Amino acid sequence: MITVKDLTKMYRVPLKTKNLLKDIFFRTYKEKKALNKISFQIGSNELVGFIGPNGAGKTTTLKILSGILYPSSGIVEVMKFTPFDKKQEFLKQIAFVMGHKNQLFWELPAIDSFKLNKEIYEINDEDFRNTLNELVELLDARNLVDQPVKTLSLGQRMRVELIAALLHRPKILFLDEPTIGLDLFAQAAIIRFIKEYQERYESTIILTSHYMQDVERLAKRLIMINHGTIIYDGLLKDLLETYSQQKLINITLLKPLSKDFAPPEKMQISYRFPQLQITSRKEDIAGVLSYMLKKVEFIDVTIEDEPLEEVIKKIFSRH
Amino acid sequence: MIRNLKIFWLLSTLSAKTAFQHRVGMISFISGKIVRFAFYFFFIYFLVSKTRFLAGYSLLQTLIFFLSFNFIDALTQLLFREVYRFRPLIISGEFDGVLLKPYHPFIRILIGGIDIMDTITIIPYIFVLVYYIFQIPHLNSANLLLYGGFLLNGLVIATGFHIIILAVGILTTEIDNIIMIYRDFTKMLSLPVDIYKEPLRSFLLFVIPIGIMMAVPVKVLFGLLTFNMFIISVIVTFLFMFFSLFLWNKALKKYQSWGS
Repeated sequence: MITVKDLTKMYRVPLKTKNLLKDIFFRTYKEKKALNKISFQIGSNELVGFIGPNGAGKTTTLKILSGILYPSSGIVEVMKFTPFDKKQEFLKQIAFVMGHKNQLFWELPAIDSFKLNKEIYEINDEDFRNTLNELVELLDARNLVDQPVKTLSLGQRMRVELIAALLHRPKILFLDEPTIGLDLFAQAAIIRFIKEYQERYESTIILTSHYMQDVERLAKRLIMINHGTIIYDGLLKDLLETYSQQKLINITLLKPLSKDFAPPEKMQISYRFPQLQITSRKEDIAGVLSYMLKKVEFIDVTIEDEPLEEVIKKIFSRH
Repeated sequence: MIRNLKIFWLLSTLSAKTAFQHRVGMISFISGKIVRFAFYFFFIYFLVSKTRFLAGYSLLQTLIFFLSFNFIDALTQLLFREVYRFRPLIISGEFDGVLLKPYHPFIRILIGGIDIMDTITIIPYIFVLVYYIFQIPHLNSANLLLYGGFLLNGLVIATGFHIIILAVGILTTEIDNIIMIYRDFTKMLSLPVDIYKEPLRSFLLFVIPIGIMMAVPVKVLFGLLTFNMFIISVIVTFLFMFFSLFLWNKALKKYQSWGS
């Protein structure tokens, strides 16, 4: 469905010198590589998490895939279209939601923008009515669509933005930070919706997010990008198996630790009574637990994987 | 085509709805425009009624130059108001949303916001213009037809100008000052182009073809246009439009999508 081969995107950035006259009349530029020969493929009905630090090239990639930006070199094919050609048949099958941008008429109720989209995407009356009802139900937005967009909170606005973007039932959905700035409840609602939407309509979704919980809850496959280069492309569980060598043991103590408690050096401990958290290598877990059984009295023990965020931080610090 | 017209109509309706959200601003805008028009109209009226001729043109002819300028100016502002609102779209990166829609971006950023206030002010301009045109002694219907044709030609040049403004906006994020320069130049043509000396006159006519846009239709109406000038006007319009579309396509490839 999506094929990217050796995609490169260069930006021209003016170089600042200490000489103002030179900056104005004899400006020099430097070429900045936002993407450096990246290649990947995405099949239909996949939900892929696209992650990386700020400035890594995530949004640039999405913008090239949707035809907003012109690539400097490389091959980009989305549903057999070249995105930058901006063919109407192509644009009618995609949607791009940007968490930090508004695509609705600010002063008017969202329903006006929906009606405009109905004409733009040539949706017939019945489909429009059905899809709108369905999306409004899924996003619990019945009372939001008639209010001027400027009066909605960020979380409410994101819900109506999603409705506007999905009215034409796109085959490919690009989501760029859809939960940015939202509180935990709004974030959870959006994530739940994306999951449900993808299952129901079997669309292909590429999601970028700085919140690793979003990615973890939604994506089976991850593409990690840093400095314009792909550093990992594979399943999330494989990533955890390969890079997550540690486990977290959470112990709820019955009594405070005694003064002579001296754990072995390989255990990293964080303690605030009654909680004791131990970070340990996977193969040392049995040893750690038998040591703790002998040394402390406790009422509960849980063993967790290392948070995805930590694993990813480690990977990025290596690249 | 019908779909595009439908979208155009809907965008215009939404633009009008938005304008009606700010009623006080709307009333002061319209009043300001009418007062400015009236002041300038009477300024020319009294000036030329005392001197009798301006660059060889009578009071009636000078007024028709001024009224035709006002009509074209108001019509272009009415049609291309969205260009004036383009900078925030570029600065915030919300232009991305326009590029993602399955229509030509011009439907949204060039003609996507018919200005209801200009629609209101253009009506009296048309009445006054038509009234004075029918005061022309021995008005020739062929000239009247050509006048209409060259007004359309002027509209094509104005479209080209606004496309260039959009393209420069994409390349540099600079829009407001270019619009000001464009408006200052067009304002020079509220009086007959013949009042300017060479090479300024040729510059206004052919280099930045504002003269063809504003002055040539009126000259046609008075039967003052030569055949050569007729041909040159059409060619310049064609070349100008071609250049503006070339620049637009170039700008789209250079678009950097700021704001994210």
